[in-house]
Amino acid sequence: MADYVEIGRPTPRVDGLAKVTGAARYVADQAIPGALSGRLVHSTRSHARIVSIDTAEARALPGVHAVITGEDVGHYLYGRMIKDIPVLARGVVRYSGERVAAVAAETEEIARHAADLIEVTYEELPAVLDLDAALEPGAPVLHPDLNAYPGMRPLDEPANAYRWTVNDRGDLDAGFEDADVIVEGEYETQRHHQAYLEPHASIVSIEDGRAHVWTNTKVPQNIRDDLAATVGISRDEIVLHHSHIGGDFGGKGTPMDLPVCYFLAQAAGRPVRMVADYIEEFMAGMPRHATRTRLRTGVRHDGTITAHHVQFFVNSGAYAGYKPAGVIGGAPRAAGPYRIPNTRIEAVHVYTNTVPGGHMRAPGSPQAVFALESHLDEVAGRLGLDPFEFRMRNLVEDGDETAWGQLFDDVRVKETLEAAAEAAGYMEPKRPFVGRGIAIGDHASGGGIGNAEVALEPGGGVVLGTAIFDQGSGTHTTLQQVVAEELRAPLHRIRLEVWDTDGTVDDSGIGGSRASRVNTKVAHEAAQDARRKLVELAAERLGAPEAAITIDGDELHVEGHGQPLHWPALLAEWEERVVGRAYIEDTEPMRVTGFVAQIAEVEVDPETGEIEVIELTTAHDVGRVLNPVGHQGQINGGVVQGLGYALMEELTLEDGRVATLSFGDYKIPTSLDIPPLRTVLIESDAGVGPYTIKGIGETPNVPVAAAIANAVADAVGVRIADLPLTSEKVYRALRDEAARSSRAGSAE
Amino acid sequence: MQLTVNGEPVEVDPPPGQLLIELLRTDLGLTGTKEACSVGVCGACTVLLDGRMVASCLALAAQADGAEVVTVEGLADDERLHPIQESFLERGGLQCGICTPGQLVAARALLDANPTPSEDEAKRWMTGNLCRCTGYYQILEAIAAASEAEA
Repeated sequence: MADYVEIGRPTPRVDGLAKVTGAARYVADQAIPGALSGRLVHSTRSHARIVSIDTAEARALPGVHAVITGEDVGHYLYGRMIKDIPVLARGVVRYSGERVAAVAAETEEIARHAADLIEVTYEELPAVLDLDAALEPGAPVLHPDLNAYPGMRPLDEPANAYRWTVNDRGDLDAGFEDADVIVEGEYETQRHHQAYLEPHASIVSIEDGRAHVWTNTKVPQNIRDDLAATVGISRDEIVLHHSHIGGDFGGKGTPMDLPVCYFLAQAAGRPVRMVADYIEEFMAGMPRHATRTRLRTGVRHDGTITAHHVQFFVNSGAYAGYKPAGVIGGAPRAAGPYRIPNTRIEAVHVYTNTVPGGHMRAPGSPQAVFALESHLDEVAGRLGLDPFEFRMRNLVEDGDETAWGQLFDDVRVKETLEAAAEAAGYMEPKRPFVGRGIAIGDHASGGGIGNAEVALEPGGGVVLGTAIFDQGSGTHTTLQQVVAEELRAPLHRIRLEVWDTDGTVDDSGIGGSRASRVNTKVAHEAAQDARRKLVELAAERLGAPEAAITIDGDELHVEGHGQPLHWPALLAEWEERVVGRAYIEDTEPMRVTGFVAQIAEVEVDPETGEIEVIELTTAHDVGRVLNPVGHQGQINGGVVQGLGYALMEELTLEDGRVATLSFGDYKIPTSLDIPPLRTVLIESDAGVGPYTIKGIGETPNVPVAAAIANAVADAVGVRIADLPLTSEKVYRALRDEAARSSRAGSAE
Repeated sequence: MQLTVNGEPVEVDPPPGQLLIELLRTDLGLTGTKEACSVGVCGACTVLLDGRMVASCLALAAQADGAEVVTVEGLADDERLHPIQESFLERGGLQCGICTPGQLVAARALLDANPTPSEDEAKRWMTGNLCRCTGYYQILEAIAAASEAEA
């Protein structure tokens, strides 16, 4: 491995000082003179025709400057790929929580009052509230006009299952014929909210023909383009300004209320600020999708998997537009990094009259991995094999295709699992009611477009320009480390400058762990470009050939010159600034992936079903770690999100309406809920980019639920196949199991 | 009414029903205090009112009449950071930063009340301050480190 100074050094966040002193400004902290407060009216029906919207009383309220409905804004639809979400509902509402009308008023209080005065009359329509109802033949179709939506793949007949894909490898039937044992299973997962603590917020100020926008988004260039397309203006008429972002986890990548905010600002002729409250976040956010996974697996007695059939049903909710690709991935993860020659993998995306789902940390993976890794333990059990041994027999090695047909270089999944087992003492004896469970996942960083600028200033200051809005994961800090490394300059001399959207024309922003892959590369290139340009300038000014000039930190060596020169002083003397810039399109699928293997150790109280997680071990195949502080932070936070998903978090519905409307009802882990966590890092030089890295943001939250479910099964012999794994479910399963064995006993 | 905010005397005339968080953020421009859940559950808006932790999204501005209020902006002593701020920075006790002002105020109150908390005491004290980024591990490490540095 190369020797680095800054890369790999524990580095405090570049934005840390502003954040610990309260100086960091988020969207809701921006002081915009004259800004009105905007509030929404949400649908109270799951599926209904809008008969009328009476806004007269709201309009008459003193201090109200604008009231808008779907009729006022026209037929504008938006969405990241499939454009199916009305800015404000027109004619029909499709979920309880949908945006129906909006007001802008002098104060928050007046705006709330005005919103309450708006009377919407509905005529109820039959609603489909879950997958079964939506897939029923003859079920009401949510979107009869779906073939007209931009971005939608047309269907022969409009249906709620708007995308049904089937991918075959090998010969599935032959694979099942080849099997000694066939095991079937069905697994369900719940809606899971990102629960970033900063609610969505937008400010729009239209001045001199340009819309100035502040909104908490990690993909500013996309959101500018989406807003332009949605409200019918050109992208040049919009500029998004930077603010700090209070958490994301996949949830801060769509326009959400921004188009409404734009129309309010336009209607009122004043800037408008809309800050969602957390009731709105839970009721009408874009949670992780609820899913159902059916699995059918054929195995031989020796543990070889011969065939595997996945049906992955995704409850899309009422719209598809919050999903950047119109659908989520995940289905292939229900087949996993296993050597299976014959597979059929089906993914079905289904509209229902419920809150639309969106992206959340490793979209689709926690659902699919919960299903697969739980199921594999059931298969191992049927064969009488230990789950560890069963996995080791089937996991891919170099040269093997995964069940989905991917071929990765430098496959380290067995090594990762072995390291986890070793660290967790997996083979050690256990007390009664204590169990250990394994689960595995992987994530290859996504690609994208990146920009960076590195300016060397007179006197030695360095300005690092970036289009990235850091949502908390620490990208700005790693970029600063890269520039410090390449220039051999101390961190404190590198000043970060975050561009507004005028700073570049295209940039993918953050998502899918692409930021560390694409942006370390582009920052590296910009720094190298700055060094080259410094050499060019020095050659010209000093009358020396470029080949005779080298840079070592602040020193500039010219062949034949005795003493080294000092570039910060030279630039000051010449009154010159050197600007290096890079733009890259790094979009190829990665040839390497990053594996994770986790082992949960739990104790289950057989009287109450209560699960205590005694310890979690998380082993990661990481390439090179850029910043150990931030890297461990991603692992810790991801694992605890996975723990919440596994044990307690669920956005529950009652009659289609979200019932968990505060953090009092929607419980996320607190400091008292965290188990001892053991981290194992398997480093290598097999990553991507100039520093051979792998993304770490996604995987830590993926296998947790399956590992805990498997540990529960190991501890007390009951399989919980739907999340979250509450004490009540374990208790009921234990009671049912006891009743079954006593019936079996009395029948003998 | 008069109160002291971060050591400075302040005179304000809050409208009836105004919340303390509105007074701080809107009238006094102290936007370091964050509003997240708005119902007193998440702890992001935690400030000290006469040395005691309160959720400023629930407290009325009028409750601060004659009181001493400390917000995140008042933790540092002029240019010198409070040890808990230093420690959060060094140990990765923050990521997105939205819960950080509340975490820091709560941690400062903990160390004022108990300069050498055990891990369990720290976990119990901090349980009212939700964080979605860190999983709490590095926050607890930061508290332990600040406690050791002071001890």
